[in-house]
Amino acid sequence: MNLYVCIKQVPDTETKIKVNGDASGIDTTGIKWIMSSYDEFAVEETLRLKEKNAGSTVTVISAGPERVIDSLRTALAMGADNAIHVELPENADSNMAAKAIAGALKKETGVDLIFFGKEALDDGAAQVPQLVSAYLNIPSVTVVCGIEYNGNTLKCKREIEGGSFEMVEVSTPAIISAHKGLNEPRYATLPNIMKAKKKEVKAVKLADIGVSSSDQKIKFKNYQLPPPKQAGKKIEGDAAAQAKALVAALHNEAKVI
Amino acid sequence: MTWQTLAFLIVGGGAFYTSGKRFHILYQMLKAQKGKAPKFSDFGERFKNAIVYVLGQKAVLQKPFVGIAHTAIFWGFIIISIGTVEQFLMTLYSGASFEFIGEKPYSALIFSQDFFTAFVLIGVLMAAYRRFMKPPKYLGQSSDANYVLLFTGGLMVSIFMMNAFHVLGSDPTFKDSYFISIHIANALAGLNFDQDTNHNLYTAFKWVHMLIVLGFSIYIPGSKHLHIVAAGPNTFLKKLKREKGITSINFEDESTTQYGAAKVTDMSWKDSLDLYSCTECGRCEELCPAWNTQKPLSPKNLIVDLKKNLHRNKELILAGKTEEVSHVIDDHVTEDVIWACTTCRACEIACPVFIEHTDKIYDIRKNLVMMESKFPAEVQAVFKNMETNASPWAFSPSERANWADGLDVKKMADVGSAENLDVLLWVGCAGSYDDRNKSVVKSFVSLLNKAGVKFAILGTEEQCTGDSARRIGNEYLFQTLAKANVETLNRYQVKRIVTACPHCFNTLKNEYGEMGGQYEVIHHSQYIANMIAEGKLKSTKPINETITFHDSCYLGRWNNVYSEPRAAIESIPQVKIVEMRLNHDKGMCCGAGGGRMWMEEHLGKRINVTRTEQALETGATTVATACPFCITMINDGMKEKDMVGKVKVKDISELIDETT
Repeated sequence: MNLYVCIKQVPDTETKIKVNGDASGIDTTGIKWIMSSYDEFAVEETLRLKEKNAGSTVTVISAGPERVIDSLRTALAMGADNAIHVELPENADSNMAAKAIAGALKKETGVDLIFFGKEALDDGAAQVPQLVSAYLNIPSVTVVCGIEYNGNTLKCKREIEGGSFEMVEVSTPAIISAHKGLNEPRYATLPNIMKAKKKEVKAVKLADIGVSSSDQKIKFKNYQLPPPKQAGKKIEGDAAAQAKALVAALHNEAKVI
Repeated sequence: MTWQTLAFLIVGGGAFYTSGKRFHILYQMLKAQKGKAPKFSDFGERFKNAIVYVLGQKAVLQKPFVGIAHTAIFWGFIIISIGTVEQFLMTLYSGASFEFIGEKPYSALIFSQDFFTAFVLIGVLMAAYRRFMKPPKYLGQSSDANYVLLFTGGLMVSIFMMNAFHVLGSDPTFKDSYFISIHIANALAGLNFDQDTNHNLYTAFKWVHMLIVLGFSIYIPGSKHLHIVAAGPNTFLKKLKREKGITSINFEDESTTQYGAAKVTDMSWKDSLDLYSCTECGRCEELCPAWNTQKPLSPKNLIVDLKKNLHRNKELILAGKTEEVSHVIDDHVTEDVIWACTTCRACEIACPVFIEHTDKIYDIRKNLVMMESKFPAEVQAVFKNMETNASPWAFSPSERANWADGLDVKKMADVGSAENLDVLLWVGCAGSYDDRNKSVVKSFVSLLNKAGVKFAILGTEEQCTGDSARRIGNEYLFQTLAKANVETLNRYQVKRIVTACPHCFNTLKNEYGEMGGQYEVIHHSQYIANMIAEGKLKSTKPINETITFHDSCYLGRWNNVYSEPRAAIESIPQVKIVEMRLNHDKGMCCGAGGGRMWMEEHLGKRINVTRTEQALETGATTVATACPFCITMINDGMKEKDMVGKVKVKDISELIDETT
C-alpha cells in the first residue's frame, strides 16, 4: 500500500501566544513547535497499516516554512519511510495549504490512502483534508475514531454530534481525518530517531505545482488575544438568597436570561 | 601406592576436574558479557575494603546474630582449609604432613583445627536455628541453603569423629592438642572397639570428610553457595564512593546498535559477578519499598531470576550465539517488576556483598524505552513535556521564573556572570511550577536573603536536569537536557550551585561531570545547616512541635546527607525530634523516585501511604521533608489518612524561615 500522511506543525500547547507587530498573525519568536496532536493519530495509523501490510510505504507530507522539517523528522522517527516538505508561507490559509498538498500528492503515483488529523491544534479550522479531497476528487471521511480494513474498503467509525457514532464505508483511494481514540501514538525508538536524522526530505516548490499567492483566499488582520479570564464569583448566603443573586447576575451581568 | 592414594587420585581428580570445568564455564560466561563495565582503580583502597568487609565481615555483621554465625563459619572455614589441604596431600603421599613447621606450631595447628571446627559448628547451629526455628520473612525457603547447612554441619561432625578415632586408633604424638576431640574420644572409648576398628573408623570418617569437600567443590558453582568464591572479588570491586551516576551511553559512537539490556548478556561482566555473588540472604528484600507494598519486585528475586536467565542461556552463550539469547524480560522478570523500582537503593546499601541491583534495572529500562518504546503509557506525556518544555509538567518554559515575580531574586541573564555571586540557586521544575514547592523555594529564598547571600537563578534558561528521564531509561533525552544545562551553566561561569531538590542535587553533583559540568553542588539542607552553624541564621522563635524527619533517598542513601537536615531542625528552640522506625540508611522511600513520580501506582498498597503511616506512628505533629517529591507524596499520604491539618508536612526551609 502507498500510504500518505499529512501533518501540520503547530506551537506547543503550553505556548504563551503573542500577537505579532502588524497584528497579521502570532509572534513566532521563542515558540516550541510540535506536530499537531491529531496528526500523531494519523501517523500512527499509517504505521500500523504498514506493519500489517508488508511492502507498504509511508510518506509524510507537511506544508509550511523551513521549520516544519523538524516535525517531518519526528514522523520519520516514528517510522515513516519518506518525507516531502512543501514550501508554504507562514500565514497561508487553508485553501492555499490544501492546494499545495494536493499538488504534491498529484506528483505521487498509486496513492492508496491519505491520512490527516481531523483539525490542527492552532487554528482548529478542520478544512484542509476536505479541500484536498475536493482538489484530488477522491472521497474523504472526517473525524474517524475507528477503522476496520477489508481489502480496498474501509469501514470508518465517525464521532458525530451528541456523543453518537456513525459508520461510513469508503473505498480507496480515500482521505481519512483522524480523531482521538483511533489509536495510541507511539514514542519513537532511538535507532529510528538516529535514522530519521539522516533521511532525505524531498522539497517541493510552490512554482512546481502551480500554487501562487493568488490561492490565498483569506487575508489575516487585526489578530487579538482573548480578554483575560475574569475571576470567578462566589455567591454566598442561604439557598433562597443564592438563587436570587444568581438570577440577578445572569440577567444583569451575563445578560443570558 | 596405597588404595587410598589410588582412590583419591580417581575420585579427587574427577571431582576437581568437574568442579574446575564448571568454574571455567562461569568464567567464560562472564567474559561473554557485552555491556560496558566500569573502570577500576585505587587498588590500595580496594585492598582496605577487602580487609574490612571480607576478612572483617563488617557488612555481614550489620545483623548481629546471623552476622556472628556467618563470621564464625567464614573464619572457621579458612583455618580448617589448612587441615583439609594437609589431609588431601597426606592421602596422596603419607609423608606430606605439615609437621615440618615445627612441633609447637604444628600442635597449635591441630589445636586451631579443633577450635574452629567447634566454632563453625556453633555458627551452623545458630544459622540453622534462625533458618528453621525463627526464619525472618525475607529469608525465604531455599533447598540450596538446607543442603549447605547439612553439608557444613556434616563436615564438622566428620572432622570431630575422624579426630576422635584417630586419637583412639593411633594414639598420636599431638594427642593433647585435640582438645575437644579427645573428649569425644574418651566418650567413644566406652564402645571398646579394638585398635583396628578404631583406625578403620578414622579412615572412614576421613573419607566422609573428603567426599563432602569434593562434592561441595562440584556443587558450589551451580548453587547460591557460589558466593564464597564470587563475593570476595565483588567486594574488592565495589564502588568506592556511595555517590554514583548511571552509566552513560556515547550516542556519537555509531557502532553501537544496542542501547541498554535486551538480553542478560547485554549487561557487563561486573553485573554477572553481582549475580554470582548473591547468596539470597534477603536483606535487600527486607527493605524494598516495592516488595513491602506488594509489588512484584523483590530485589533478591530480580537477581536470582537474572542468574537463572543467564544459566538458561548457557549453551547459546558458550557457543557464541549471543544474538539468540532470550529476552531479559521473562515470566519472572516482568515489565511490572522493572517499573516497580523507585531506585531508592535500600537494596544496594543493605547488600552485604555489594550487589548493585538498580544498575540492572536502569539497563533493562534503557532497552525498553529507547529500543522498544515500551513504558507505562502515562510517561509518554512526561517525555514530550521534557522534550518541548524542558519540564515534566506541562507548563510553558516562559513561565518558569514566574514564582519569583515581586521577590528579590536576580536572574543570571541580568547578573551576567556567577563570578560575583556566592551561589547559583537551582530552582528545579517542582520549585518552578508546583504550587506547594513554589512556597518551599520562596522560604529558602527568604533564608538566603536573611543571611545576606548573593545568589541568582537561571530563570527561564533553566531546564529540567533530566533526572526522571534518565532513571526511567530515556538516556537520550537526559543527555539532551543535561548538555543544554551544562552549556548555560558554563556560559555563566557557575562554580557553586545550591538546590532544594535532591534529585537535581544528585544529578548536578554526580552526573553532570561526565556531561562537561564540574560544579560544587550543595543541597539546601546543607546550606541551611551551614548558615546556622556560621551564625548567619538563628532560629529564635520556639515552636512546640514534635518533628519527624523523612529521609529523601537521593539525599540520604545516594549522597550520605543525613545529619545536616536534622541539625537544622534541632536548632529550632523547643522542638522535639523523633525518628521513624525506618530512618537513615533504612529510611523508606516516599514512592516517587526513579521516575515513579510520573507513573500510576496500580499494584499493591500505595508506598506513600505506607510511609505516611510510619510517620504517624511516631506521634509527630510535623513531618519535615527536604525534597519536593517527598513533600508531595507525604502530603498525599496525609490526605489518604485524613490527617490534613492534624499533622503538618513541611520542608525544612519553611520550618527555619518561620522561626528566624
